[in-house]
Amino acid sequence: MFRLSELEEDALKEFFNMGLGMAANSLSQMVNNEVLLTLPKLKVVTYEEATRMLVQHSQEEKLVAVRQNFRGELTGTALLIFPGSESLELVRTLLNDDIPLEVLTELEQETLLDVGNVILNAFLESFTQMMSVEFEFEAAEYLRGSSRFLLDISSHLAAQRHSLMATGGGEDEERAFVLMMDFKTSDEEQKQHTLSGFVVLLFSHQAMLILKRELEVILSNL
Amino acid sequence: MEKKKALIVDDSSLARMMVRKFFTEGFKDWDLLEAKDALEALEKAEGLPLQLALVDFNMPGMNGIDLAEKLLEKQPGLSIHLVTANIQERMQLRAESIGIGFIKKPISQEKISDAMQRLSG
Repeated sequence: MFRLSELEEDALKEFFNMGLGMAANSLSQMVNNEVLLTLPKLKVVTYEEATRMLVQHSQEEKLVAVRQNFRGELTGTALLIFPGSESLELVRTLLNDDIPLEVLTELEQETLLDVGNVILNAFLESFTQMMSVEFEFEAAEYLRGSSRFLLDISSHLAAQRHSLMATGGGEDEERAFVLMMDFKTSDEEQKQHTLSGFVVLLFSHQAMLILKRELEVILSNL
Repeated sequence: MEKKKALIVDDSSLARMMVRKFFTEGFKDWDLLEAKDALEALEKAEGLPLQLALVDFNMPGMNGIDLAEKLLEKQPGLSIHLVTANIQERMQLRAESIGIGFIKKPISQEKISDAMQRLSG
């Protein structure tokens, strides 16, 4: 069975943290406020386990997601998922508290796509920072729906196969990175907005092997 | 002559291993102490004259800024640098406001060398 060692997982988390630092910096420039993105948890699991884990940690029925496929030496799908009820609040935080609700709703999809794009790109670019891998991103998609649909990894895989024409590999060997993420703007305490979500990266077996090989090279040089 | 002492505090093993490698290869006249969090850092720094401390911001328990303040209470004038992936201007200003340096991750031998040069200058 495919496994990453504790040290390899630690290294990945550090790469992701660097990616998040870049994402937070881009977002903070967008909103002219400090943005704190933290990763309390990283799990490398099978697709099936990923679905189970997401369902377990999601209290809400309605969710919002930004999905982005990538292809090249690493091929797969990246997802940013967070509670639907808080997405407007996030947009309000990012744009301006004074914007009327109807305008805010119109801007919701566009803003969340931008945010998703910045965060997911930063995660994926963190791979290219330290490793010799190259890949390209497809356009990001905005999705809104029930948790049953959005947390079901197989529905994203079907979309990925449609878009990337990727073939299904040995499902046992395919892995997802599930990252829990806290999003916080650090205004003064009482105005502070906190939002917890997930970043899920779906990697093919081939992509996981490349990733493991790259990690081994980095760690053997230390 | 007794070796100079530096402390690296980071919860990431990778980050600590990278710094260890830079010291082994480039700064042989230094002793490097390692800690994975603030608590361990304070224990290791107890009673020691340190010349340099490289401190991550985001760690379980106490963050890097709070740790830096505690280290400065124990050893005023110690050269401390916040080493972080949080590259926002406000984080740099927070570091400046308590009189410590700021190093953007990923750390490199050159960045450590710069911090050391400021130390002797």
